[in-house]
Amino acid sequence: MKPIETMPAMQAMFLPDVENNPQPSSTTDLIRIAQSAGTEYPKIWHLFAYRPEATTHLGAFTQEIMRGDGPVSASISPGLRELIAAFTSSANECPF
Amino acid sequence: MPYIRVSEKLPGIRSLFAFRPETATPMSELAEVLLHQPGTLSPADRELIATYVSSENDCYYCQTAHGAIAAHHLGGNEALVIDVKRDFEHAAISDKLKALLAIAGKVQRGGKNVQPEDVERARREGATDLEIHDTVLIAAAFCMFNRYVDGLATWAPTDLDGFRERAAKVARDGYLGVLGYIAEARASGNGS
Repeated sequence: MKPIETMPAMQAMFLPDVENNPQPSSTTDLIRIAQSAGTEYPKIWHLFAYRPEATTHLGAFTQEIMRGDGPVSASISPGLRELIAAFTSSANECPF
Repeated sequence: MPYIRVSEKLPGIRSLFAFRPETATPMSELAEVLLHQPGTLSPADRELIATYVSSENDCYYCQTAHGAIAAHHLGGNEALVIDVKRDFEHAAISDKLKALLAIAGKVQRGGKNVQPEDVERARREGATDLEIHDTVLIAAAFCMFNRYVDGLATWAPTDLDGFRERAAKVARDGYLGVLGYIAEARASGNGS
């Protein structure tokens, strides 16, 4: 088994245009708050803030699959769903 | 034979969309934004990226469906779609698309495979940050779609004419049309 990865320190992204051009969105507000407080934040926020017209659907998808109470997933608790997500991310070596 | 009880009338991802409309809606809307809405990359280029990733993932339904849509956008040039799947570096496509396909291929094998040189190559060939961003998101989204379709062993037809016919419709109308028949399937109890 591979060792569990630790979070790398915040570093510049491959695409500066993405990092420097957050569009008006709730994620952009979050980035501003974190930046003005000088705290670290997950850089996936920049991906969400760059292309909200696409990522809003990813957000809706995540909300439904992780927290939605559709006929199927209602029988899998949110805790178990997060555990499945965490296990898959670990297998994909994505520490965040 | 699908692992779960889905509609026998619908192939591939469409049977899963009908099974679970709540997740079908945002997935279809994502496909619409990435592949069909106007952008600086042509719909043909974006469908070729989706087709190539699906081919690398060995997903028969997705590579055939999106390969047919790409060919439709290319005036019926199915040979070029096959060339891209087989060896895109030597296919008759732009150097920019080759660089983007190289990035998409790395994402398919795992996101961490993308190196600064890959991004530099794409930039050198004139790709914008938005185009590189969308290439990575198309590749990542299709890894999800491919695994979704094959992880539940959905059924797919072997008749290519059916794919061609549907491709013409999707190329024209986009990806939100599925939401209509999902609602119908739901109403008639064919969903879950």
